[in-house]
Amino acid sequence: MPIHAPHHILRFRNVTVLHGQTLALEGINLDIPCGSSTALLGPNGAGKSTLLRAILGWHRLASGEIRLGDAHPHHQLPRLAYLPQRQSIDWDFPITVRAVVEQGRYPSLRFFQRLSAHDHQRVDRALDELGLTDLADRQISQLSGGQQQRVFLARALAQGADVFLLDEPFAGLDLLACEELCHLLRNWVMHGRTVVAAVHDLALARESFSRGVLLDTALIATGPIAEVLSPENIDRAFRRGRSARENPLHLTRTTEFPS
Amino acid sequence: MNLHDLFIAPFSYDFMARGLGSALLLGLSGGLLGCVLVLRRLALMGDALSHSLLPGIALAWMIFGPSLAALFMGALLAGLLTALGSALLSRLTRVKEDAAFGSLFIVFFAAGVALVSKLPTRMNLTHVLFGNILGTSSTDLGIAAAVSAVTALVFLLGFRGILLQTFDPLFYRACGGRGGWVHIGLLALTVLNLVAALQTMGIVLALGLFLLPAVSAYLWCDHFARMLLLSACIALVSSVAGILLSYHAGLASGASIVLCLGAVFFASALFSPRYGFINRFLRPQSRTLPA
Repeated sequence: MPIHAPHHILRFRNVTVLHGQTLALEGINLDIPCGSSTALLGPNGAGKSTLLRAILGWHRLASGEIRLGDAHPHHQLPRLAYLPQRQSIDWDFPITVRAVVEQGRYPSLRFFQRLSAHDHQRVDRALDELGLTDLADRQISQLSGGQQQRVFLARALAQGADVFLLDEPFAGLDLLACEELCHLLRNWVMHGRTVVAAVHDLALARESFSRGVLLDTALIATGPIAEVLSPENIDRAFRRGRSARENPLHLTRTTEFPS
Repeated sequence: MNLHDLFIAPFSYDFMARGLGSALLLGLSGGLLGCVLVLRRLALMGDALSHSLLPGIALAWMIFGPSLAALFMGALLAGLLTALGSALLSRLTRVKEDAAFGSLFIVFFAAGVALVSKLPTRMNLTHVLFGNILGTSSTDLGIAAAVSAVTALVFLLGFRGILLQTFDPLFYRACGGRGGWVHIGLLALTVLNLVAALQTMGIVLALGLFLLPAVSAYLWCDHFARMLLLSACIALVSSVAGILLSYHAGLASGASIVLCLGAVFFASALFSPRYGFINRFLRPQSRTLPA
């Protein structure tokens, strides 16, 4: 018996999303517990990004509902921090690290209100937590890929959110930067924050996330990551008769032990 | 020749003072708007928009005759239609925004040329293209003042929304921002500024005031707010310098202003300490700056 049942923060009930005529998500039933790290897994076009954006209310649901706590997530946007994919940013934009992190405070400001001392404090704390204090005055192109990713995580932190929706945060990062990011996300989860990330690398997901959601338009599996990433499930999600791989175990093995 | 002759005397003529006034007013708003256009890679959009104004002007002429207000409204409507149409096209179909703009403005321009060919009196197109800033009437000046004030006010009040929508529209949307409205609002302001500039300066100078201060400032600044300020300042200083140049050297006034802006731009491209030409050659390793 658990001491206290995990408090489910995100609930999907029979969620279906259509992109024009095509089915993007079909009948998803899913609970994402509070204070966990959840990897969204699946082949390209499986609906990982759609699922993240559906939480933000960007897609009209053809059926079903999504709840954050007890409320509709659209009414709780301050609790949600969304991290877009890296390539959507113009890194030559005339903006410094600190100014990007300050953007996290913008939603909580009134129309013509300036950043208060409290806001600056939160920005400083976010910069500090992500080890960016020394880089705060740099223009954002003068950072490494891992540092750039951390700037946007710091912005999410400064927002004061507790649910972090990350769209492919590991894309384009080298091994060291990936490890750094994993470490950081594990730390966040220990502080009771909830992380939901679209991830491509199965081995990385297995090592660094406690829970997994395997999608292929419909939900294939959800639960503890090791159970989700069973050979049978991977086979169902990734092969579907399209993959060239004969043996699904081979797929996991090559990603699990890169030599 | 003393300082008074050099700087003050030219503006004792009313038409000079009015010309300077409209250049300053439209330079301020053009300098602000241009920054957003340059950063969103819509630099050529102003050019496209300005051509698309023609059918509106021609149609207004046909219906209402040469009334300033009618021409203004006609141009405004045509420009807004192009801007809205391409924003919709790019959102609802596969076509990207630049291609949508390009296609629409050509169709609009063709419609304009067709309409002009039906006009009984031949409209002077070169006047539209190059304008005559020293022929600025007090009505023109009033329009310029109103447009400039609206633009400056929008930037002052909507600064954060404009910054987020320009830098990271997805994040803005995730925070509940209405990015679509910001985008359409900025397009509408662009049209408004172009139309206001059309009668006094013509298309070419108007585009110069949009783009040149913004790209010059882009080469110097690592802060969005500072880029906006610097861009507006460059536009203001170059307007004064250009009009003085045209007075003393006897050159066309609009062209002189653009030449001054061009000089600032080339100087920036050469000497900008971080992003300039010379820096790139002197310090090829300068991409990794010391902390």
